[in-house]
Amino acid sequence: MADSPSPDSEPTTRTLLRRVLDTADVRSPRRRRSARNAIQRSVFETTSSRSLGSQTKTSVRRRSHGARSIGRLAHVQASAYLEKDTPRTLLKNILLTAPESSIMMPNPVVKLVPLSQVVQSYRRESSQGSLELQLPELDPPTTLGPGLPTSSRKKQRLRLSVFQQEVNQGLPLSQELPVNADSSSFTRSLNLTFTTPLQPQSVRRPGLARRPPTRRAVDVGALLQDLQDNSVASAPPGDSLRIPVATQPTNIVLEDTQPFSQPLVSSFPSVHHSLPHPPHTGVEDAERTLDRRTWNSGLELQDHMSRTDYATTSSPISELQPPLPEVTEAAGSEEAVRVKELEGSSEDEDTSGEPASPELATSTPELLQAKQSHEFLELPPPPGVGVLPSEPLEPVPARLPSRPRAAGPRPYRDPYRTGLSHYVKLFSFHAKMPMEKKAVEMVERCLDKYFQNLCNDLEVFAAHAGRKTVKPEDLELLLRRQGLVTDEVSMHVLVEQHLPMEYRQLLIPCAFSGNSVFPAH
Amino acid sequence: MKEAEAEEQQEFSYQQRLKAAVHYTMGCLCNEVALDKEVQFSKQTIAAISEVTFQQCEHFAKDLEMFARHAKRSTISTEDVKLLARRSNSLLKYITEKNEEIAQLNQEQKAKKKKKLENETKNSIEPEDTEVMESEN
Repeated sequence: MADSPSPDSEPTTRTLLRRVLDTADVRSPRRRRSARNAIQRSVFETTSSRSLGSQTKTSVRRRSHGARSIGRLAHVQASAYLEKDTPRTLLKNILLTAPESSIMMPNPVVKLVPLSQVVQSYRRESSQGSLELQLPELDPPTTLGPGLPTSSRKKQRLRLSVFQQEVNQGLPLSQELPVNADSSSFTRSLNLTFTTPLQPQSVRRPGLARRPPTRRAVDVGALLQDLQDNSVASAPPGDSLRIPVATQPTNIVLEDTQPFSQPLVSSFPSVHHSLPHPPHTGVEDAERTLDRRTWNSGLELQDHMSRTDYATTSSPISELQPPLPEVTEAAGSEEAVRVKELEGSSEDEDTSGEPASPELATSTPELLQAKQSHEFLELPPPPGVGVLPSEPLEPVPARLPSRPRAAGPRPYRDPYRTGLSHYVKLFSFHAKMPMEKKAVEMVERCLDKYFQNLCNDLEVFAAHAGRKTVKPEDLELLLRRQGLVTDEVSMHVLVEQHLPMEYRQLLIPCAFSGNSVFPAH
Repeated sequence: MKEAEAEEQQEFSYQQRLKAAVHYTMGCLCNEVALDKEVQFSKQTIAAISEVTFQQCEHFAKDLEMFARHAKRSTISTEDVKLLARRSNSLLKYITEKNEEIAQLNQEQKAKKKKKLENETKNSIEPEDTEVMESEN
């Protein structure tokens, strides 16, 4: 306690920041001078309170050295829960993980060599970084310039090599033991987190460490959430297989949208733990905050399944109509394909169930590539309309990171035409030439007639076979008439060519182990 | 190989004969329409129409077969034909009317046949009865 080197000796930005972080209240204006005093007081208190009986030789010196670090640790631990990605956490991260290093090597070596033995021994004893490993980060004069992270990055190698030197008791410098040095130098922070060892690597190679860890966390969490939602809707157990399949695309899409996706430097351990939760909240927020038109073309399976199920269970059509036309708006041709097929199915059911619904027919997508499966039709209805908005789309993730959607006045959209406008846009895109408004209108009317025809055909085919439900056989007949399905090209071939993987699993029967075939035909 | 070629040739010649027949029928129809509307038809027009008609007949045949198979039947019925003609309303009307006429005709024929059968059975029963009576006696 007595020999504590004055904290004011060679005040560097690093030390100043450290003091500030240790002592300043969260979200309070920093008062440096009083903070420093507070630090000294708190540090001494903590050192005295801590039992350092295990350390014998240089306990006094270590205490002095480690005093500040202990205090820091204590503060950090205490306030760990407060650490989200704020500038505070960034700084803290930097201070804790980025090793202090300076170009001036000799001083730290001189100071720490006598302690290296003890350091090594204690490091081996206690796997969890404790006080003795605080040594390296102390007083070595650092001349960190303004570029704190970059300089720390550059100096890391030097720093690590120096530490290695110390650890190996003056062995020749080896600059190529970063991993060991990392693990050793950051064991001191083990008691805080177990992910900080990743940080130096991530700092060095930003591209690698970004997505994969967050991805897994989100998947499980969001998947569980979706499963819960679906189970709440009393889904029959037989369909439990399908639902996870269905939710997978949403999960993959969801994580792209995550506004909570952690940037590199601030990848704090607590964040990793809390990742499963922000996605949920993110989803819910997305539900509420996003305009309907952003999610409108709910291209995910669940969306369509829900809609088709509404049709089969003869839920009020009015409920369907607003989401349906909006739903058909979709960006991306792949999604459009999915939309087409599923909406086509839903439309057919609607028309067969309630013939007086021309507006629905108008918003049906092209069925050229439509593969309707009766599994879609017969899936149980998901919880409610609330589930419908829960699927953000690929266009949404593209937009969300750029700017949060401002809830401005929503332009009026005629539901009769809303569904077709997307396909008209696709048409104009593929035309590669600017199109007149009149031409666009004409295209819209043609598409309208075309879809009406297609769906009438489907209805008639179903009736011709004495059924009230449109089944895949009807669609196959339709495609055959269009010349897409021939004697050489079967429908399964088209499914494999044009539909995404998840749909293939649902449509084409595949034999599984245990003498089971899914989907059962 | 040669047999296959011969068959192909036969089919081809058969097709050509059919096309010729269609063409001839088309010519007659066009002449009638020309007289009716006082318009003239060029030969190319007639040829084009007959070609299109032939191809449409092929399409119709395939569709009818598909419809019948879709309804899990092996015979093409009037239902399939009606399905085929659903696009044009007037044609559909015409076909349904014709269908009803034919249905009526069929019913009448069936009724006649039933009467005949009944008469025949009565006649056959009576001689049998007489025979039986004779035998008993």
